[in-house]
Amino acid sequence: MLAVWAAKCAEKVSVHVFHRQGVTWAGKIALRICPDILAELASQVREDIFIVCGTNGKTTTNNMLCAALEAEGKKVVCNHTGSNMLNGVAAAFALAAGLGGNLDADCASIEIDEASTKRVFPNFKPDYMVLTNLFRDQLDRYGEIDITMNLLKEVMQTAPDMKVIVNGDDALSAFLAMDAGNPCITYGISEKVVDDQDSHEIREGRFCKKCGALMHYYFYHYSQLGDYACTACDFKRPAIDFDASGIQVEEGLSFTVEDRRISADYKGFYNVYNILAAYAAVRSAGMKAEHFNEMLAGFNPENGRMEEFHIRGTRVTLNLAKNPAGFNQNISAVMQDNMPKDVIIVINDNEQDGTDISWLWDVDFDRFKDAEANSITVSGIRCQDMRLRLKYVDIPSMLESDVAEAVSERIQNGCGNLYVLVNYTALFGTRTILKKMEGQK
Amino acid sequence: MEGKRKITIGHLYPDLLNLYGDRGNIACMMQRCRWRGIEAETIEYNLGDEIDFGRLDIVLLGGGSDREQMIVCRKLQEIQEAFQAYVEDNGVVIAVCGGYQLLGKYYKTKEGVIQGLNLVDLYTEQGEGRLIDNIVLQSDLVKMPVAGFENHGGRTYINGNKPFGKVLYGSGNDGESGYEGVVYKNVIGTYLHGPLLPKNPEVCDWLIARALERKYGESRLSPLDDSHEIEANSYVYQRFVGGNQ
Repeated sequence: MLAVWAAKCAEKVSVHVFHRQGVTWAGKIALRICPDILAELASQVREDIFIVCGTNGKTTTNNMLCAALEAEGKKVVCNHTGSNMLNGVAAAFALAAGLGGNLDADCASIEIDEASTKRVFPNFKPDYMVLTNLFRDQLDRYGEIDITMNLLKEVMQTAPDMKVIVNGDDALSAFLAMDAGNPCITYGISEKVVDDQDSHEIREGRFCKKCGALMHYYFYHYSQLGDYACTACDFKRPAIDFDASGIQVEEGLSFTVEDRRISADYKGFYNVYNILAAYAAVRSAGMKAEHFNEMLAGFNPENGRMEEFHIRGTRVTLNLAKNPAGFNQNISAVMQDNMPKDVIIVINDNEQDGTDISWLWDVDFDRFKDAEANSITVSGIRCQDMRLRLKYVDIPSMLESDVAEAVSERIQNGCGNLYVLVNYTALFGTRTILKKMEGQK
Repeated sequence: MEGKRKITIGHLYPDLLNLYGDRGNIACMMQRCRWRGIEAETIEYNLGDEIDFGRLDIVLLGGGSDREQMIVCRKLQEIQEAFQAYVEDNGVVIAVCGGYQLLGKYYKTKEGVIQGLNLVDLYTEQGEGRLIDNIVLQSDLVKMPVAGFENHGGRTYINGNKPFGKVLYGSGNDGESGYEGVVYKNVIGTYLHGPLLPKNPEVCDWLIARALERKYGESRLSPLDDSHEIEANSYVYQRFVGGNQ
């Protein structure tokens, strides 16, 4: 099949010659040659197609879901790199297919950018949709959350049999799933883990999406995630099918769900949700998930999500932080490490980042004062804005617009424990730099 | 002398109108007062709270989604009279994005008409497509260019009022007039977020000075080291307008 062959060539050429993630390009070429390629290949998936949507945690949840399905012995098509628009989705299928256009796959686990769902859904109807959460993100690209919710609702209603596996702790996602009318399976955390009531974090979901009245929150886990009920109508947190309890966030993460203890060597409370979502998806599809813990132990996505590098005696942890909710959780994860540390924050304003960087002011950067941070360096295209952001919470910072320079300087003069927090377009470049430096030891 | 002065900022409906980093505008005003030894406090008013404009020296009205703006506008009618008296008495107001639209008579959207506060003679109508980009102005109020970001579907018409600035890069009020925002008495209405004040310290100081003038009859402000603010501002100016300032 010409389209598959062309996609494979395009991917090889762009990855190996231009040293960039050529996946998107491959998908574009495949679709140009054969507009039906995605529908055709998706129809060959023997069992279930899972998709993952939501503002934060898509890539981690989706990769984890793929690994969990593989641990169940399934052959899985997955857009691992996080290329989640139409081209990226088409590429995942095309690159997994044989040159004759045959796809040998039991399942697919595909993350889809919320705004791209309306272009992807006409090609196939997923069996399951994981809906992780809805936070404000790149207002210049997506507009207000209400717009994203309306768009998703319309798309979900084109696949009325699709089961939605939804984060019940998020009033926005839970309302959306209910409002769309699809069959629902919920996951969440019913016990109070940390008291986040006093945080000044900007929260969505203050008002009921059903009737507009004030929502009451019994507690918050973080952002607007928590236990809630409308003060006027009957909308409230739904009953939770996959409920995590006994949450531990020190020395890795662990929790109990369905009487099973799940543990993983990750940082960041938010990862409880990512793991729980993947688990709920596998279980909802009727699999036993007996090898789930083993899968987690070997899970190393190598995609810049809490990815570690060791460079000339310095441990470097790279993490993506692209919106206020994600960045606040990143700061929490950094604070879980009690050791002294240096921090580099890289902020770009390319199209994929959102060209509007005003979201930096919705992040609670003042918490870095209690994070044992010896130094903070700001870098990237909008490093000056980032420096100003820190100045107004009385945190001094060093400025080095060039990421490679900033990293080298801290490896030479820092304390041996370096966190690099980057937004979207800075991720790939920074990761390449760190990989290269790691190889040069 | 300076230590005895105090500025009280009223932040209107931060639970609803909190898009685009409005907290940065508050942080900027607070810090630039404190760094000069001027006491500063912010009172947050949520929907339904009683607002005593007599206590306030600066009012911030931020931006929200159309849906949230609709919720706010119903409540706003209850405080319209007191708000108008405050404005006519030279009360200082910084109204951003949705807050700017709410200053006027109405905002006509495809879904219906949102009644405004009618504090300034202007009105807004929803246009085709949103005007989204970095934006740079030249304003009579300050020496430095004003740098920010705009993202609005509404086109605002200011009926002969004085604009906040002339557009050097970007769209401005309606994408055609070449002007952005409005200045009426001590009120600034603007589509600029980014947020507005940190990169435009002179605008922040203009607001603080007007508030001090009204309260104490003198507006002296000691200079601050604004080198980082100026660098961030210049970066945007150079990138989108170019040439020498």
